[in-house]
Amino acid sequence: MPEIVIQYQAEILSSIGETFVMVGVSILAAVLLGLPVGTFLFLLRKGQVLENRFAFSTVNLLVNIIRSFPFLLLVVFLIPFTRFVIGTAIGTAAATVPLAIIAIAHYSRLVEQALLDVPKGVMEAAISMGASVNEIIVKFLYVEARSGLVLGLTTSIISFISYSTIMGVVGGGGIGDFAIRYGYQQFKTDLMIYMIMIMVILVQLIQFIGTTVSRLIDKR
Amino acid sequence: MTGHVLKAIIEFAVFTLQNDERGFFMIKLQNVSKKFLNFQAIKSVSLTINQGEIHGIIGASGAGKSTLLRVMNLLEIPDEGEVEVNGHHLTSLSNKDLRQERKSIGMIFQQFNLVANKTVYENVAVSLQLANFPRKEQRSRVMTCLEFVGLESFSEKYPAQLSGGEKQRVAIARALANSPRVLLCDEPTSSLDPNTTAEILGVLENVNKKLGVTIVIVSHEMDVIKGICNRVTVLANGEIYDTVFIEPRRIHIIDHSPRYFVEKLTADGEMSDA
Repeated sequence: MPEIVIQYQAEILSSIGETFVMVGVSILAAVLLGLPVGTFLFLLRKGQVLENRFAFSTVNLLVNIIRSFPFLLLVVFLIPFTRFVIGTAIGTAAATVPLAIIAIAHYSRLVEQALLDVPKGVMEAAISMGASVNEIIVKFLYVEARSGLVLGLTTSIISFISYSTIMGVVGGGGIGDFAIRYGYQQFKTDLMIYMIMIMVILVQLIQFIGTTVSRLIDKR
Repeated sequence: MTGHVLKAIIEFAVFTLQNDERGFFMIKLQNVSKKFLNFQAIKSVSLTINQGEIHGIIGASGAGKSTLLRVMNLLEIPDEGEVEVNGHHLTSLSNKDLRQERKSIGMIFQQFNLVANKTVYENVAVSLQLANFPRKEQRSRVMTCLEFVGLESFSEKYPAQLSGGEKQRVAIARALANSPRVLLCDEPTSSLDPNTTAEILGVLENVNKKLGVTIVIVSHEMDVIKGICNRVTVLANGEIYDTVFIEPRRIHIIDHSPRYFVEKLTADGEMSDA
């Protein structure tokens, strides 16, 4: 291993840990909240089982607004909210709040897209068999859209990694922050390049896993 | 003596077929209308379908055939009118009761509408799960249904590995799983070749004869309607033009050998037979 990496081993490891925490919380938020929000976006559409123009427009607008913020501004804008939820606006824990919010908005859109790919006839068959809304979602929609949902989550996770790199502004730490502070600001360009390499490997790995899993579960 | 019994049975049968008002009917539509945006798909249609019948609905594109069928399980909710199936007024049921009722009304579609990510077995089993069928008996029930359509050895395959005819058989097995009283068929053979069409009609005939399921079948193909139905409703511009009794004649299986094609192509003026 390069000497400089060994020299900063402890800092590098802890920054990788911080990135994992931030991305991990984002993934949790995406799956636990983004998935239901995206499902609603789909089901509230015209012609779907929960068709409701007003509710759809509201959720749709909210998701759009969150996604139109330049992420750095969203982080700053949310500081009062973060302070209210976490008790402080500084640190890795505080950084997870804006990340979770963008994660929900980001993944919900991809969920909506994946569900739109489910043939309308499958929904009709489900309804004709007397399925309730919950049963339609769990036994039909998610089953038929599962490879799209996995691919979408893969894309989302890679975006979360990217978003997490700027969390240094609120003391969130992480690999990106380490690369900026040690590599860029202290003119240790080689250290910066090693950090970028770690990110590239991470992204490659995630994309490979995502693509493989989605292919294995796709029987269409 | 035997003559008397036979006569009584025939009279009873005629009574069953013709008597629309006093029971024995499975589906009854009264003044049902449905409009899509500016298009009046069906206009105040009243129709009674008797128990045990194979009822055809035929008409040109846009005549309202599919809409009329889809009203029968409220897949399409009518703007006006009453829909009664198997003694229940569907139009006045709560959502929960309607879902319950739909479990005894099977439906199959032109595009089969199987869940592509579920195996043949799972596609049939899901129908039982929705109806809270006892878990322990699910396996044997699914296999019975698959045997009925001749696909018991296909249970672990996925729909993508099946031919069109096989997919439709799975859809029929799925629709039969909960022992429905009625089977609604929306253009069930329109994406199948003539041989497979004959095969599927054979299965539907068995469903009707062996299981006593009332069948309503929508098709634009005259051969399909003539080959299987006892009574046919002809629709035009969203209204019933006529309802006729017919004697079902099994359609003959069409020869698909290359020699047949060449003969047909070269025989002058006989192309319309093909």
